[in-house]
Amino acid sequence: MKKLIIKSILYVFLILIVLEGLVRVFHLGKDTPTRFLDKYKVEKWKPNQNGFSVTGNRRQNFSEYHINTTGYNSYREFTPTKDKIEVALVGDSFIEGFHQNYYNSIGKKIENVIPEIEVYEYGYAGYDFADQLHLVHSYASQFDLIDHVILGIKFSNDLTRAEYQVVNSRLALESPMNKMLKKSKLIVYCKSIGILDPPQEFMYRLINIFKPKKKTVSIDEAETLRIKKKNEEKYLANFKSLVSKYGYDKKRFTLLLDSRITSPLFLSYLEKNGFNYIDFSTSFETSDRSTTLIYDRHWNNHGRDIIAKDIIQYLRDTNFVKN
Amino acid sequence: MLFNSLDFFIFLPVVFVLYWFIFYKKIQVQNFFILIASYIFYGLWDWRFLFLILASTVVDFFIGQAIYVNDAISKRKAWLWISVIFNIGLLGFFKYYNFFIGSWIDFLSVFGYELKSTWTLQIILPVGISFYTFQTMSYSLDIYYKRLTPTKNFIAFATFVSFFPQLVAGPIERASNLLSQITSKRTFNYIQCTEGLKLILWGLFKKIVIADSIAPIVDDIFLNYNDYSASTLILGVSLFSFQVYGDFSGYSDIAIGTAKLFGIELMSNFKFPTFSRNVAEYWQRWHVSLSTWFRHYVYIPLGGSRVSKLKSVRNIIIIFLVSGFWHGANWTFIVWGAIHAALYIPVFLMGRNRIYMNTVVAENRWFPSLTEISQILLTFILVTFSRVFFRSESITDAFGFLEQIYSNFSYETYQHPLGYRMIDYFILLGLFILYEFRIRRDERAPFKFKSKIVRFVAYTLVILGMLLFFDDNIDRSFIYFQF
Repeated sequence: MKKLIIKSILYVFLILIVLEGLVRVFHLGKDTPTRFLDKYKVEKWKPNQNGFSVTGNRRQNFSEYHINTTGYNSYREFTPTKDKIEVALVGDSFIEGFHQNYYNSIGKKIENVIPEIEVYEYGYAGYDFADQLHLVHSYASQFDLIDHVILGIKFSNDLTRAEYQVVNSRLALESPMNKMLKKSKLIVYCKSIGILDPPQEFMYRLINIFKPKKKTVSIDEAETLRIKKKNEEKYLANFKSLVSKYGYDKKRFTLLLDSRITSPLFLSYLEKNGFNYIDFSTSFETSDRSTTLIYDRHWNNHGRDIIAKDIIQYLRDTNFVKN
Repeated sequence: MLFNSLDFFIFLPVVFVLYWFIFYKKIQVQNFFILIASYIFYGLWDWRFLFLILASTVVDFFIGQAIYVNDAISKRKAWLWISVIFNIGLLGFFKYYNFFIGSWIDFLSVFGYELKSTWTLQIILPVGISFYTFQTMSYSLDIYYKRLTPTKNFIAFATFVSFFPQLVAGPIERASNLLSQITSKRTFNYIQCTEGLKLILWGLFKKIVIADSIAPIVDDIFLNYNDYSASTLILGVSLFSFQVYGDFSGYSDIAIGTAKLFGIELMSNFKFPTFSRNVAEYWQRWHVSLSTWFRHYVYIPLGGSRVSKLKSVRNIIIIFLVSGFWHGANWTFIVWGAIHAALYIPVFLMGRNRIYMNTVVAENRWFPSLTEISQILLTFILVTFSRVFFRSESITDAFGFLEQIYSNFSYETYQHPLGYRMIDYFILLGLFILYEFRIRRDERAPFKFKSKIVRFVAYTLVILGMLLFFDDNIDRSFIYFQF
């Protein structure tokens, strides 16, 4: 029995080491850049990091990222001046674009068509409208030099807060424990494909074993509609509050949204109050190909092409650029 | 509790340690502990159905003794019939009741009588009922045929019926093999344990990497067969052949390996059926415990092959139809059984049904001959064809599937429903077939390499395969649990 236990432990240990090596050699696990909170309490990536983002098992999606000196994933540095024409794209992971090579981003696609402008992509996974306006407000001196700012917004996700506060749950990913775990590419890979979910759920169940279970309440259709309406009103109120708190230049700022998943109440408010927006819903709807990755809801290369084209069209329609 | 669940990976080491460290001194205590562990194992799925197992155990325990003490053949037969009726009754109610009612309603509707289907009931099929009822019946049958002396130890008998590694999906053991081991003193054996761990590892590989990774493709093709051309449908049913093999033989390997950890040797259930050279050999290698059961308790009592050719053919038809029906309460399984009977009978009539017994393909050679390759391919094609019925939801779907192959006989490139690269699966299956061919001589030793380094590499690659093909979003239950 002793022999069995010792040999089993030895084998498990050796196999884990070899697997760690294999995961590294074949780059199966994703690299995760380090995040931090800057002096303005803006959460961003630590500057000058490079790595590869991997989605799914067997490297279903593999792309390179580069964090510039400003702390965002982009091939270029953000150096706005009065002499150049700059456009800023501010948003969440869709703008951040870890699922694409950083030199093939939406911004680069726009620059390829309109070489005279520089596109600065301030994308960061999880940024909602409060994060975005707080960033613009905190770096007002930089953003004032940028000629046009496009803010990506998803109505149901990005307006849940009326003011900016640091999201501690995201920063907790930088805890010493998490940092140590992230050093093992095998753990990162196992976590990304869901192998570690059952043990985590088991631990959660074990910790909460004596806590009373929450009763599930069934909600009828009328109640669902009432909650939906209430949320829509709340999100609109949050939008108004954020705009009033951090400021919003209606001439320079434009929202990027999908009207299919945006409340008509909100759209009507934007139109009545002179908030410009780019609606990419029609372009996505009429696309003959899928616009998202199959195993991930982010835009694929075709989806990013469409977004870039819609932004270019908008910039031309509003005479921001001539050709 | 599933073998491929976290619950089992916590349950197994706990039971193993308690079994060998705490309860090892007395065989009675060890058996009682295994019985409790088995009931917990089963009860975590649905504790209410434990009463069925207990009922089947009690009935056959006492009937076994009643058969044994009675010398009069009529009384012995009467007791045997009670056992058979009770066990078949359990199966009949839980598994076949709705099928019979539905078929009866359909039959009457042919003659213009419309019956409402209010007779059908919402019945949950208790997991493993087809397996443990057959196992308990075999006990009474063996006593009836005077092949076995009944045990007086109820705990040992209850452990034989509910031994958790093989409780829910076999191998269906005979008392002469399993019960005799349960009543004997077991001592820890290092080699047996390592063999068990290796089988568990290989079983998990077959389940997670082969069966589970193919499952979304097979599900997609069988669900949407109307939208696909012949090439995709052929691909779908061929992949199903590997899926069902990986799933069930993987389960069996884990069961046999787990039993080894407790010092128990279960019978082999799969002996590389993919390399069968004719349908008869296939049935000597596929679900061996069920085939053996039917041979011992149905085929031989009917006269087997020692009667006239006509009667033998009748016996073959019966055994395949019953075997098909055992798999599920659906006409698809009966047709599947009938197809196998039709494939087996010519082999039997040509006297080729036993020629490959106790031999493997490419015996004493590295590679199979061209003749062997063609025989294997032909057998695979025939068996795979029958699986259209095995996998389809209904007879209409099965014929629809075949009709679609005929009417849309063209090639198309198939795209994985979840977006994965199809080439990965072809490479995987190619390597799997080659590896199984390499180990084809011994189904109980999947990592039989002289070099420790090669063995270590094999373990690592198998685990790497699991990491590469693990899919969090698919149903991980075993196909044969539904039977």
